[in-house]
Amino acid sequence: MIQHVGNHPFGKKHRPHEVVIETLLFLFALFSILITVGIAFILVRESFLFFADPDVDLLGFLTGKVWQPMIGLFGFLPLLNATLTTSLIAMLLGIPLGLFVAIYLAEYASDRVRGFLKPTLEVLAGIPTIVYGYFALTFMTPLLRSIFGENRVDIYNTASAGLVIGILVLPMIATMAEDAITSVPKDLRLAAYALGGTSIETTFKVVIPAALSGLSATFLLALSRAIGETMVVALAAGAGPNLTANPFKAAETITGYIVRISGGDVSYNSVDYNSIFALGLVLFVITFTLNLVSRKISGLFHQEYD
Amino acid sequence: MKKVVLVTMLFLALASLFAGGKSEQSTPVANSFAWVEEGTIHGLPMVNPLKVTGNIITAGSSTVYPLSERMAERFKEEGYRGVITIDSIGSGAGFERFTVAGETDIANASRPIKAKEIDAAKSIGRTPLEFRVGTDALAVVVSKANTFAKNVTKEELARLFSTATTWKDVNPSWPNEPIQRFIPGTDSGTFDYFAEEIFASNPEPLLSAKNLQLSEDDNILVQGIKGSPYAVGFFGYAYYAENEASLNILSINGVEAVKANVDNNTYPLARPLFLYSDAVVMRSKPQVAAFIDFYLSYVNEEVIKVGYFPASEEAIDKGRKLWLEAMQGTY
Repeated sequence: MIQHVGNHPFGKKHRPHEVVIETLLFLFALFSILITVGIAFILVRESFLFFADPDVDLLGFLTGKVWQPMIGLFGFLPLLNATLTTSLIAMLLGIPLGLFVAIYLAEYASDRVRGFLKPTLEVLAGIPTIVYGYFALTFMTPLLRSIFGENRVDIYNTASAGLVIGILVLPMIATMAEDAITSVPKDLRLAAYALGGTSIETTFKVVIPAALSGLSATFLLALSRAIGETMVVALAAGAGPNLTANPFKAAETITGYIVRISGGDVSYNSVDYNSIFALGLVLFVITFTLNLVSRKISGLFHQEYD
Repeated sequence: MKKVVLVTMLFLALASLFAGGKSEQSTPVANSFAWVEEGTIHGLPMVNPLKVTGNIITAGSSTVYPLSERMAERFKEEGYRGVITIDSIGSGAGFERFTVAGETDIANASRPIKAKEIDAAKSIGRTPLEFRVGTDALAVVVSKANTFAKNVTKEELARLFSTATTWKDVNPSWPNEPIQRFIPGTDSGTFDYFAEEIFASNPEPLLSAKNLQLSEDDNILVQGIKGSPYAVGFFGYAYYAENEASLNILSINGVEAVKANVDNNTYPLARPLFLYSDAVVMRSKPQVAAFIDFYLSYVNEEVIKVGYFPASEEAIDKGRKLWLEAMQGTY
């Protein structure tokens, strides 16, 4: 068989340019891997500079409650706390909303409605995040302040940023969750109907549980997107580290701090400057782990129905 | 095949066009001080911006930024056709770019250069020349909605921006509400100046304060202070002047930030604004010398409109003398 292919007029042997193209494509693929390795390398190397500073110790970094590098306080909990607050709020809004949009699109929407809704969602996904940032500052914050009172809600606050990030990840959740739901085999739905299930029962008791691993993977990816989101928090969440559980107070997130410092604020070779690489490494580790877990989960999902 | 030839020829033609453009541009360099006109203003030669060629790169203080922007605007209005870059990144970062990387021609600063910055400049062969361009009355501001605070003493100011949690902690007659602070970032000259004046150069109490927001972007501070009657912050006077409708300025030790009080040195938070450049840069890039000449000649006509106060004639004259020394024999 193989010999036959080799002698075939359209066989591989007679097309040397195929090899060239394949090699090129492989090099492009390799390039993206090299970039990832390069980023990881730079982050680790520069973070090492930060942790090598005599004022910094790892334990203090992980457990300290005040982040003010200029006066030697390197506890990154306030930044982590703000990042988790905004991401949590984003997920509280984005997951239910995105899931329901996905269920509607996959199970209920007529072709006409779908033809209108899907492009709208895609437009939402195409808006630059800085615009979302201004949306948070000039729409969401005043809205929150008019509901909860000017004195309770700071002008920069994590709630406003979190809600807008929720809107920002909504299209991503909706699209991926819809894929997860539609890839549930038709047999399962038909079986549910055959047993006398209504369409709501079929959706919530059969289809959603069957799509659960795909959905969880979606949510984890969305979470990792929310944690890494930068412009919205830089504009709306606040510009000073603050350890608080109150989402109406200003607090700076990890990404917000990195933006402020790298935006020309601070001289190179200062410990403040090196600190952003350590924070970048933390972010990288968090989102990388989330993405890995998400891949593992969606792998499980594919095994179930293959 | 024909197509390929055509495209190649087109490309070559285009390339030669660009090459031609370049060689044309380089001719005026032979007489790059063509902008020097007959006559002098305050001892400096008159500048004809129409004849100035080449780009100018400046970076530094966000306080000086509006003034430099205004001067650059006027320079262009009068005919300058090059590009002036003015980055608003804080005095410290501005000096960094001027003295370490040597990427900029001029450093804008709202504080005098430090000894270690001069050393850094020397190691790359630059000797910073100081040009005084104006005076800022650092403004301590609150929102228009704040009806109780009108005046603070320096001692109150120290508490207001450090240990106090509520306004009541600063002054017993003020409300028992938490203070929200909005201050310039740690690399800005304004931050340094404030720490120096109020906290004897120790930034620690300032940075340890609760409810603290730091930003190099003064407009973010303005937004934040507008947002609550219990917010307070400080920045260059021009940003107050621009937002007079929504902000109140506090008088310090009973002295208001007005021209008379800045001129007679009674306003406690008045501070100098500077440009820094270097003789070698000014000689090798005549456009830089032209811009500084222009700046020093007309700054007093613009400084008040921007929202700052003129420096004394002697102070500006010192810079003019430095300019003349640096440029001696070049034009």
